[in-house]
Amino acid sequence: MKKVLIYYEQKQHKNSIELLAVARLIYGGTSADEEHTEAYETYGVSLEPTGSEANGLFDFLIQICGDSAQRERRALAPCQEHDQDNSPGCDALYMTSILAELQQEYQFDCILFPATHMGRMLAPRLAMRLQTGLVADVTDIRYKDGIMEIVRPAFSGKLMAGILSRTAPLMMSVRQNVFSYDPGRLTETRLISYTPKTASSEGLRLLKVREKEASKDIRDSDILISGGGGVMRDFKKLSDLAGELDALVSASRKTVDHGIAPRSIQVGQSGKTVSPKLYLALGINGSIQHIEGLKNVEYMIAVNTNKNAPICSISDIVVEGDAKEFINKLTEKIRKEKSKEARNEFAFQK
Amino acid sequence: MKIICLIKYIPDVENFKYDYERNVLVRENVRMILNPDDACTVAFALKRKDQYPDTVIEVVTMAPQSIIPQLEDLLRLGVDHASLISDKAFVGSDTYVTSRILGRYLREASFDCILTGTHTLDGDTAHVPSQVAELLSLSQMSNVVEIDEAAFCRERAIVEAEEELTFGTYEIALPAVISLRKDRKYKLPYIRYEELSRDVKDRIQIIDNDVLGFAQEEVGIIGSLTQISSTFVKSMEKKKRIIVRNDDEGIDLVYSFLKERGFV
Ligand SMILES: Cc1cc2nc3c(=O)[nH]c(=O)nc-3n(C[C@H](O)[C@H](O)[C@H](O)COP(=O)(O)OP(=O)(O)OC[C@H]3O[C@@H](n4cnc5c(N)ncnc54)[C@H](O)[C@@H]3O)c2cc1C
Repeated sequence: MKKVLIYYEQKQHKNSIELLAVARLIYGGTSADEEHTEAYETYGVSLEPTGSEANGLFDFLIQICGDSAQRERRALAPCQEHDQDNSPGCDALYMTSILAELQQEYQFDCILFPATHMGRMLAPRLAMRLQTGLVADVTDIRYKDGIMEIVRPAFSGKLMAGILSRTAPLMMSVRQNVFSYDPGRLTETRLISYTPKTASSEGLRLLKVREKEASKDIRDSDILISGGGGVMRDFKKLSDLAGELDALVSASRKTVDHGIAPRSIQVGQSGKTVSPKLYLALGINGSIQHIEGLKNVEYMIAVNTNKNAPICSISDIVVEGDAKEFINKLTEKIRKEKSKEARNEFAFQK
Repeated sequence: MKIICLIKYIPDVENFKYDYERNVLVRENVRMILNPDDACTVAFALKRKDQYPDTVIEVVTMAPQSIIPQLEDLLRLGVDHASLISDKAFVGSDTYVTSRILGRYLREASFDCILTGTHTLDGDTAHVPSQVAELLSLSQMSNVVEIDEAAFCRERAIVEAEEELTFGTYEIALPAVISLRKDRKYKLPYIRYEELSRDVKDRIQIIDNDVLGFAQEEVGIIGSLTQISSTFVKSMEKKKRIIVRNDDEGIDLVYSFLKERGFV
């Protein structure tokens, strides 16, 4: 029986649960290329007290408790007591020691982390501690002649690379929002309380937490109005159209690098992976690194002065022309149609 | 106070071309540049040295010796020492091996704080800072967007890190590894005119495997724990597309497309 350990971050519930899909690809025979099945069980591990959300998904849930964990939680809680719920992350040095203890005890075959802020600090540390290889930002698992290849972007994202890991346990950090997990039937999660032997390092203390202003996440939006190098000067205009369509604005890295759009709305390999139903690409060329951030987009419309730009070949509609002009015209058209509808409704009511 | 900036030179990736016909990466004539996140660490250290002239800055990098002219430029900006870790045996090392090589040098070095970038534009695994910290048993924080300059001292640093939904302010006991992320606050200055041709060779030391003493099978491709077995271009699924213009007809078509699918 293979054992998979998954680092569970309550604040990143969805991105942690996605790792169950990766475990399924590795052992559960769901890889697209070749069937490969082995019996396996999943263990979630969490430093934060986990709520009911994680129940029914993992076979086991390891809850770190005891004195030092409590002290650690206190050390990491921001000064104001009431903010305790917001405590993000923790001390990777300490957490590494705990995970190494767990590895000693359970001998996991595979350890998975979401590629979050914390996951990306923790995974390399643990790999070093366990002297095992680690593959970062995994986007796919495939089998070739019974041998597993771990897929991630390489050469600045210009290519994908299949990577072999030569050591055990198998360790990966997994790109967020690329995999989706359908639990099917819920399992009965068994809880394990674990008291660490190691004491907290106390080298790190969380002083305060500040919420980000842009609280709306482009990953949650059904429609994205995305702007690139071709609308850089009129980037603000995008929100007019977004307003009419109840959409969010996103951006290519070019606009982010120029300080026109915040990094939190960047789509692509070094930004976010998004899966909107409709993606409107305005003045975006469609570099490989940008396309890498588009997953299961249902419909795509590209507006570009060059109808042969790469983005156009994956679009349903290509509008050949100036993006700013397009925004103005479409926004106006939608407004006109809306007011027509409103008038009709009014007439109907009368 | 002694600051070590752990930096990496990378191929200027924006001008890195992929030859789709021959299925190879065109690497000829690719310029090497200082990774942007890493440049911020040097910029921060220099700024600090401006305020506190007793600050000592050492840059440490693992690279081929052809990078020396670029290191000289950093020395001309005010960096005190440059340590170049370079040996043919190290070529092809993965992040695990690279971290061990750097870790072995740093274990013997003296410092109050190690600054690194968070991401590199080429590999972008972000493994090395965390792994070096692990080898040195130090705390580490990634995605740092600001170091509180007033509070920065030999004992501790106060930093702000960007997390998924929040910014967290942390106090870190030094020595520790602090990993910055590119921000406009930290920008490398230009070399002053009178410094342009200053001879700085004596401030560069080259460290090879004679110094570090790794067994051959521990480093390079052989020592690596992960291995690239194949590369491929992700095929894009081409669509049957409609091409229209930005005129009334085009806009009407886009509008009906949106309407039919319930987007408006
Ligand atoms: C390691 C690495 C990671 C990267 N990660 C990302 C990432 O996460 N996301 C990302 O987006 N990029 C990323 N990039 C950058 C990427 O390679 C491209 O440089 C970038 O996506 C280009 O942005 P763009 O298409 O908006 O701009 P440009 O390349 O400048 O393209 C502009 C487009 O607009 C069109 N245009 C010009 N004028 C107009 C007009 N008036 N109206 C309409 N169209 C017009 C042009 O024909 C062109 O197609 C990464 C690069 C590297 C090396």
